[in-house]
Amino acid sequence: MASFIKARDVSLVFKSKDRQPVTALSNFSLDIAHGEFVSIVGPSGCGKSSFLNILLGLIRPGNGEIHLNGTRITGPGQERAMVFQEFGLLPWRTVTANVELGLELKGIAPAQRAERATELIKLVGLTGFESHYPHELSGGMKQRVGLARALATEPEVLLMDEPFAALDAQTRDLMQMELLQIWERTKKTVLFVTHSIEEAAYLSDRVIVMTARPGRTKDILKIDLPRPRDYEMRLTPEFNDLKLHIWEVLKEELTSRG
Amino acid sequence: MKLKNFYTEHESFILGTGFIVFLLILWESIPLWYTLPKGMALFFTTPSDIAAAFHRLLLNGELEKHFYVSAIAFLAGLGLSIVVGLPLGLVMGRSATLDALLDPYVTASNATPRIVFLPLLILWFGIGIWSKIAIVFVGAVFPLLINTYVGVKNVNQVLVNVVRSFGASEWQLMKIVVLPNSVPYIIAGLRLAIGRAILGVVVGEFFGSSQGLGYMIASAATNYKVDVVFVGVAIFMALSVILTLAVKQLESRLASWRPETAKTF
Amino acid sequence: MAAREYFTEHRRLWLGLCSFFFLVAAWELVLTYIVPVNPFFFTKPSLIADAFKEQIQSAKLWHDLAVSSQAFLWGFSFAVIVGIPVGLVMGWRRRVEYSLDPFLTALYASPLVALAPLFIIVFGVGVLGKAALVFLLAVFPFVFNAFAGVKSTDSLLINVIRSFGGREKDLYLKVILPSTMPYIIAGARLAIGRGLVGIIVGEFYAASEGIGFAILQAGDTYRLPDMFVGIIILSLIAVGLTELMRKLELMVAPWRASDEAR
Repeated sequence: MASFIKARDVSLVFKSKDRQPVTALSNFSLDIAHGEFVSIVGPSGCGKSSFLNILLGLIRPGNGEIHLNGTRITGPGQERAMVFQEFGLLPWRTVTANVELGLELKGIAPAQRAERATELIKLVGLTGFESHYPHELSGGMKQRVGLARALATEPEVLLMDEPFAALDAQTRDLMQMELLQIWERTKKTVLFVTHSIEEAAYLSDRVIVMTARPGRTKDILKIDLPRPRDYEMRLTPEFNDLKLHIWEVLKEELTSRG
Repeated sequence: MKLKNFYTEHESFILGTGFIVFLLILWESIPLWYTLPKGMALFFTTPSDIAAAFHRLLLNGELEKHFYVSAIAFLAGLGLSIVVGLPLGLVMGRSATLDALLDPYVTASNATPRIVFLPLLILWFGIGIWSKIAIVFVGAVFPLLINTYVGVKNVNQVLVNVVRSFGASEWQLMKIVVLPNSVPYIIAGLRLAIGRAILGVVVGEFFGSSQGLGYMIASAATNYKVDVVFVGVAIFMALSVILTLAVKQLESRLASWRPETAKTF
Repeated sequence: MAAREYFTEHRRLWLGLCSFFFLVAAWELVLTYIVPVNPFFFTKPSLIADAFKEQIQSAKLWHDLAVSSQAFLWGFSFAVIVGIPVGLVMGWRRRVEYSLDPFLTALYASPLVALAPLFIIVFGVGVLGKAALVFLLAVFPFVFNAFAGVKSTDSLLINVIRSFGGREKDLYLKVILPSTMPYIIAGARLAIGRGLVGIIVGEFYAASEGIGFAILQAGDTYRLPDMFVGIIILSLIAVGLTELMRKLELMVAPWRASDEAR
């Protein structure tokens, strides 16, 4: 497998509030192929979100390095974009202006920005809400804006940090289906962090289960279910077997923490 | 029936203005049912006397002259405090080192009633416009500085990460996230600052001036011209209320993206 | 190594202290060696320190402080006694709120200190005039904060108490009072600042004793070190009282994380 993203021995230590050093990640390695959809599940505090932030270039790891397409990551770059759990929309900007944010920082001309934003707002199904402010949108709509903003700069890698965790169950199911459709159309490489085993199994080509802190790879599971996947697939015995398997691997980590 | 509906719909307005009108009528009618002793009568005036005094001072141009002097000191002092307070608040909010270095002075000066510096400022700047500008500045700069600082500090870290993840520079971060986030705080600070600035003008003119509305009040009081005192007080009151409402207007316009009105403190 | 860690942990405190001592030292050195000090116009830390030592040993300073405190306490107490009930009633009774709100808001927004000359002339230069001024300035924060406290009481909590069969008395004691107290103390903090303004302006305007008068007199006679001592003492009192209120706020409402940065 030719790895598009290659992480080697990434470690991260930070100081907790009571100033004790906490090892969030310890020698974490990972390979992801181009166009692959990979999920990371693991106990709370296992450093999976920290890993995303390192990959995004916001945090520098204490040790180890990550290469993207052969180039070492040292800071933020336009070939990567993140969808945040808390949406991270600028409350004083309209939907359009929020989607344009990355393009604006890239120095794209306003006319082109607007054109691209319109296109993406359509892609995520928000046409008609262009001049709304975030506080006028529902949670699901906010995250559509977050997704459109991340896609606007045409990144090759889409990082998703528990993007649907703040949504209600039905909206969540709907957003998962739409994410799959968009992924199949755009063929981005996606790294998806979640707490939900079902979500990970449903969306991904591979699921990485992490150990409790300090986070390491515990197991990697291939999800060999046919695509395109629909909601009904989640009711099949094969899917439930997979879920059970992931759960059993994860359970050891959850109980070992006491 | 209709009248009742009208009342319920406008109850707060009717009761609010009604109470003020009631107080004014009560005040006006005191001499009708109570004969004041000689000593008290000297200090007493009625709304109609005050209105007459206002009319007189307006016609002879005295009011305009004093108003002009006060307005200049107010605007210059407040303008200076904005020019100094905002950037300093921004910088202190973003730099932990500068914050730690300057914090003792800001905290101590903010807790001290700034009026206490007036004799010192009069000594340094003399009687006249400069000591007034200085006392207005000293009064108004801290609410602006501190509110800007709090606005910068309260910026949502997720938004900072979002903008950073797109490769923004510190300057772009300031422009796109930090500054817009501080706007409601700055406006709340401005409202406080206006109050402090007016206080500075009043007290500055009591002691360090021979012109201006504050001086007019102080000299009228020494001459027992109580109606003139109240003309001055009423003008300051009207100005404060108008400016406060104007800032509130600005607040709601600039913060149209907010679900509820900005927190004020 | 340990020292280094200690420094990083208390970096803020150390930087603040360093900044203060550096400023004082620079002030002293510049005026001693570079620019000769004009004693009618400026002074330096060593002279202020001398004046400070002298003043705290003299009876006059304590007398001045006692005079000012007396007026302050009278005015402040009346502000508490009048302001809190008015605010509570405004919060409980909608019609009272509607009637009083515009009037009191206009007064609160106004520089009522403008009435100082009139107050001093009517009530005299003694305790009464100053106390009246302190009352006038300090009463509004109590009114509006008690009002805001009642208004901000969570209606869910009221329903909870009612659902457990609580009576009117329980509502006041168990919900409204605890949630209003922090507001009132925050109001007290504002009121202290405004009350001090009242004392100072009153004593600047007309007085023959008191800390404000002492500062003014020192200025009039070009005794700059004494003037700085007065300012510093007033500043210490103001900071002390403000801190006291902050502590009190935490004591009364430990469940409220201090949401204000300072």
